[in-house]
Amino acid sequence: MDWLSELLRRLWMLIRRQQFDADLKEEMRLHVELREQEQIQAGLSPREARQAAARRFGNATVLKEKSHMAWGWDWLESFGQDIEYGSRAMLRSPALTIVALLSLALGIGANTAIFSLLDAVMLRSLPVRDPANLILLGKGNVSGITDDFARTQLYSYPFYRQMREENQVFSDTAAIFSMTNDIHGFVEGRIESEPMSVQLVSGTYFTTLGVRAFVGRTLDEADDNSEGDHSVAVISYAWWKRGFARDPNVLNRKLKLGATTYNIIGVAPPEFFGTKVGEAPDMWVPLSMVKVVPPNYGGYKDNFSESLLIMARLKPGISISEATSNVNLLFRQILLGFPDAKLSQENLQELDRTKVPLTPMATGLSSLRRQFSEPLQILMAVVALVLLIACANIANLLLARSTARSRELAVRQALGARRTRIIRQLITESLLLALAGGVLGVALASVANRLLLRMVSGGLDTIPLDVSIDTRLLLFTLAVTIATALIFGTIPAFRGTRVQLTDTLKAGRGPQGTSGKNPLAKALVISQVALSLVLMVGAGLFLRSLFNLNNVDIGFNKENVLRLEIDSSSAGYTPGEPREVALNQQIEERVSALPNVKAASFSAFTFHEGSWSSNVVVPGMNTDEDINVKHNVVGAGYFATMQIPLLAGRSFSPSDTSTSQTVAIISEHTAKTLFPLGNPIGRHYRLSDNKPENDVTVIGVAKDVKFHDLAEEPVNLDYFPYTQHPWSFGDFEVRYTGGFDPVAAAVQQTIHSIDRNLPITRVTTLDQQVARSITNQRLVAQLSAFFGLLAVFLSCIGIYGVMSYVVMRRTNEIGIRMALGARRSNMLWMVLREILILVSIGVVIGVPVTLAGDRLVSKMLFGLKPSDPVTLVSATVILLIVAAIAGYLPARRASLMDPMVALRYE
Amino acid sequence: MHRDEIPPGTLYLLILKTLARVGEMHGYEIADSIQRISNDVLQVEEGSLYPALQRMLIKGWVKAKWGTTAGNRRARYYHLTVAGRKQLETELSQFERVIGAITRVIQTA
Repeated sequence: MDWLSELLRRLWMLIRRQQFDADLKEEMRLHVELREQEQIQAGLSPREARQAAARRFGNATVLKEKSHMAWGWDWLESFGQDIEYGSRAMLRSPALTIVALLSLALGIGANTAIFSLLDAVMLRSLPVRDPANLILLGKGNVSGITDDFARTQLYSYPFYRQMREENQVFSDTAAIFSMTNDIHGFVEGRIESEPMSVQLVSGTYFTTLGVRAFVGRTLDEADDNSEGDHSVAVISYAWWKRGFARDPNVLNRKLKLGATTYNIIGVAPPEFFGTKVGEAPDMWVPLSMVKVVPPNYGGYKDNFSESLLIMARLKPGISISEATSNVNLLFRQILLGFPDAKLSQENLQELDRTKVPLTPMATGLSSLRRQFSEPLQILMAVVALVLLIACANIANLLLARSTARSRELAVRQALGARRTRIIRQLITESLLLALAGGVLGVALASVANRLLLRMVSGGLDTIPLDVSIDTRLLLFTLAVTIATALIFGTIPAFRGTRVQLTDTLKAGRGPQGTSGKNPLAKALVISQVALSLVLMVGAGLFLRSLFNLNNVDIGFNKENVLRLEIDSSSAGYTPGEPREVALNQQIEERVSALPNVKAASFSAFTFHEGSWSSNVVVPGMNTDEDINVKHNVVGAGYFATMQIPLLAGRSFSPSDTSTSQTVAIISEHTAKTLFPLGNPIGRHYRLSDNKPENDVTVIGVAKDVKFHDLAEEPVNLDYFPYTQHPWSFGDFEVRYTGGFDPVAAAVQQTIHSIDRNLPITRVTTLDQQVARSITNQRLVAQLSAFFGLLAVFLSCIGIYGVMSYVVMRRTNEIGIRMALGARRSNMLWMVLREILILVSIGVVIGVPVTLAGDRLVSKMLFGLKPSDPVTLVSATVILLIVAAIAGYLPARRASLMDPMVALRYE
Repeated sequence: MHRDEIPPGTLYLLILKTLARVGEMHGYEIADSIQRISNDVLQVEEGSLYPALQRMLIKGWVKAKWGTTAGNRRARYYHLTVAGRKQLETELSQFERVIGAITRVIQTA
């Protein structure tokens, strides 16, 4: 208790500091005066009495200080003084302060923002129980439906069932439909349909993950044990909040998806977004309902309708390799055991070759990760370099400043300031700067990561991703910058306070005018230049790749095409039924007839939208290898709408109906692959199983187009009319003239005049769709260009700072030289030469680093090599020019100096 | 007149003892009292009394309150607390132990 009351007394003193000082002063004065009186009474003269009293009392100031220090608050008071002094010093040189703060803020902010995104996309574990024990069968990089034999990416529902029951290595197993059903449904009681994202999962999904319901219950095994009669849904917390205003009565609400009404049985916990990073389904519905949720994929009982991802939780103590061997054993057994397995020679060989890999699933699944992991890593490297440059810059600025202050420090020491006191003050100032920069950095990071997420989303709805600031990295960058500020802010302090005071006081005329005096600052400039070169060349390469991509021949005319998506299956249409075909034709006709519309057509795909592909066979042609062709299902007006030239034959016409001969238009490249000799028109080929009913006749050859991305080589493509190949459509394209908005409005109005319940989404232009396919290249190009420029700017500040300092230190020398007859141009050149030497050394170091580093990014480049000489040379030249400009200002100042002033300069 | 410095560490003891004897005094009175009773042998650098008093305030050995002197001037009067009396006993016994030891060493000739 003693220490507590002692602390209270100390605190009380701190609060009443002024009163305390006044009391002490009064008390001491009384003492001296009483002693003085006594001396006078003893017979001394007043003057002698006063002197005697003062002598006997001792040094009042020191005693007052000692009394004050006894309370132990002196450190706090001098800290306060240091902060006050430091802020004043910062405000006295605002340019330096702003640059230092900006460097810090950008260094900290950019690193934190990019790392937060990187973390969200690549590193963060799923918010589920014990995510480290979750594994996935296969690699999880494919989604869709296939009937290929012995594939390890996707599995059928019966396969999942057997795997779950027969394995000995998993405590539980769950299946996830590899696509979300993005549909339009109704919340019961509401008139308008709403977009809803439905994730079909097995009944074991939540229990395998160990996720408990926030409200109600999650799905269980019983919801998934018979097909079609478990119309229940667990909704996400985000949708509960957004779509139901957190209705506590939500368990009594119902949903209508397609023709079926679903009971809401639970709400998932707030942190749970599903298992795919970057996607957040609104609800989870048991796979037993797969056939009735639009667009009615089906396949619940089909042994070879492979559309599921299978994840499982390892039993305690089971290693991945044990699990792998068990899974592979079962994989073979189950496939061979299916009565409808096609055990051809080829398939059996395939099965022998195939091995199911098990992938850790702690961080969840993500297509986002495939797309952005490389760009994000590149950007992370870029901003890390920027942080280095920023640190070098701060180091340089602080070095220059404190060296310039060495005289001030010497004066203070001469006046009696303790060395520790001065060092402490410089540390405080550096800390102040670093912390202010840190605060700015945090503010910047919180803005930047939202901006970044919007850039990554590529103009669509923002990807649902939690990119809140990552505290670990924030602390790391803060630590790095603060350490830099401390080290470089105080090195000169240690150096400066150790010197012989008299020397420093006499300095200015000292012998240190020679240029070699500041090797640390110069090394910093050289490294800044080298790093800037790396970033500039990188930025140049990315920008030129982007330019090349934008100018690639895509084979269709992307200008002036509106595209939108119509969700007719949610509105109750079944693909291929006469009513649906009639609807599509009516929409195409009515829209084509609109003013300012030249052509309109449905299609399964346009560009960068996934694909439907299969292996094809040309009868009579003996090929060992599978020829894989990507198929597109289109309307009769597709080629006119996209302006894809037909090189031979005819386009589809209304006479191609479900009862007429099945026809196809093939791309140039397909024509060369399938029919290397002779005219392909009128020739036949068959899809997949080589059955007669899969036979198509080639009626035309179309020019090659880019299908999935701009960088791809020509692929095998063919087109079928939707009258002959039922397709649950998404895309509708309209070629228009004039303004986009009136056409978009007229088109939507026309579609709704045909059926007002048709949900229309994603109304945009084809141009934007193409642009979206290079979102990551654009992201990298724009950000690396920004950071490259920033790096150069920071380096220039560094060069300017160092050269200004050098010129200042050499003022006397310059004066003497000019007095001896040196010309102004000589002076200019003398200073500039020094800069050019520094920059050249930086470039010489930077070039090999650049060449080594750029090889790592070669996958992100298009149409040029990583060692592209044009980029390298132009970056070097730009860097030299900009550096020369930065150095010119101090050089000019040197050359314009009046020799008399320069000689007297101190 | 020759004056001896007080032995280090004994300043607290002197102040505590003086206050214990008289009860309540201000700084000048304490200094004066120490000198008079020691027959002017013990000479305190008078000012050093004040940092010492501050330390004793922190420790809670003494308390202070403002009052008026005979000459009608404001002065800070110090008095012992319970903790201060206890401290006095501790310091006294320690002092006697040390002095006793030194005396024994000197007398064992």
